[in-house]
Amino acid sequence: MKAAISSIEELLARFRYRSDEETTGLVELPASPVEPERVPGAEELQLLIFGLDGSEYAVALAAVTEILRARALTEIPRARPPLLGVLNLRGTITPVYDPSLRLGVASTVRVCAGPDCERPPRPARILVVRTGLGPAGLWVDRVRGVQRVRPGALERPRSGPTGGVVGILQTAEGTCTVVDPEWLLR
Amino acid sequence: MSAEGQAVDVCAFWVGDAVYGIDVARVDEILPRVVPLPVADAPPHVEGVVHVHGTAVPIVDLRRLLPPGNPPRTAKPKVILARIGRRRLGLRVDGMAGVRRYTEAEIRPGGAEPGVLGVTTDECRLLDLRGLLASRSAERAGGL
Repeated sequence: MKAAISSIEELLARFRYRSDEETTGLVELPASPVEPERVPGAEELQLLIFGLDGSEYAVALAAVTEILRARALTEIPRARPPLLGVLNLRGTITPVYDPSLRLGVASTVRVCAGPDCERPPRPARILVVRTGLGPAGLWVDRVRGVQRVRPGALERPRSGPTGGVVGILQTAEGTCTVVDPEWLLR
Repeated sequence: MSAEGQAVDVCAFWVGDAVYGIDVARVDEILPRVVPLPVADAPPHVEGVVHVHGTAVPIVDLRRLLPPGNPPRTAKPKVILARIGRRRLGLRVDGMAGVRRYTEAEIRPGGAEPGVLGVTTDECRLLDLRGLLASRSAERAGGL
């Protein structure tokens, strides 16, 4: 150990995080880079598959930062339908949207915020996705899991809304529509 | 850099009967339940590794590095995914005590315990995470 700290500047210099901190003394910690290294030949796509009203959809796993248990949201007065409300994600106000309207699988708007809000069903989840404007949530009915696929395994969509549909994936359970998460938020 | 009243955001947690804090910028995530994969020949305070989003992350049990004691009954053990430079590690703690903001005036430099840089007015001990772990590494390297 170094000598005791005497000044606040020295204390803060050692306390604060810097990405270029010296780590050579840490012999017992296996090398674990912050950014995962690319494995050769791993160009396959990882998809997070989720369910909405009986159908299955997927988004690229790389776009999803976390999955939260669905919870009552904070109401935004005069919010327009795809926006369900906001949640406080460790201090970041995160808007949560309903992707089922954009995908055309629901005609009614679910109430997830405010006094009329019902208790969310147990399997419901909020996918927090990275967007150009910060994190945003997608309210889904359930999350099935992650599937690795080669980009060539995706079929091109034949009909229906094609704007944000990246492709169709045939899985053992049926078909799954792969969508662009940013498109779901528009 | 040290403007008067510069604030420090601290991620505070319980280990034993004391509250410790690390820079909130070090913290990536808080994991509730983690079962690490044991690593052969690891020092006693390294529980093993876990896979987090495809990366193997070592889990360090801070309870073995800091003085023992009884945490409050409401505390729930967690693993804090933190960064030291370009490395990432999990810190097993007895419970979270929230994110706190201190001004420089509220921090008293120096501390009797190893790895403690200073103590705040509400008795939160600010940890030198790198120093704490590096000293253990040096002891181990010297003992081998």
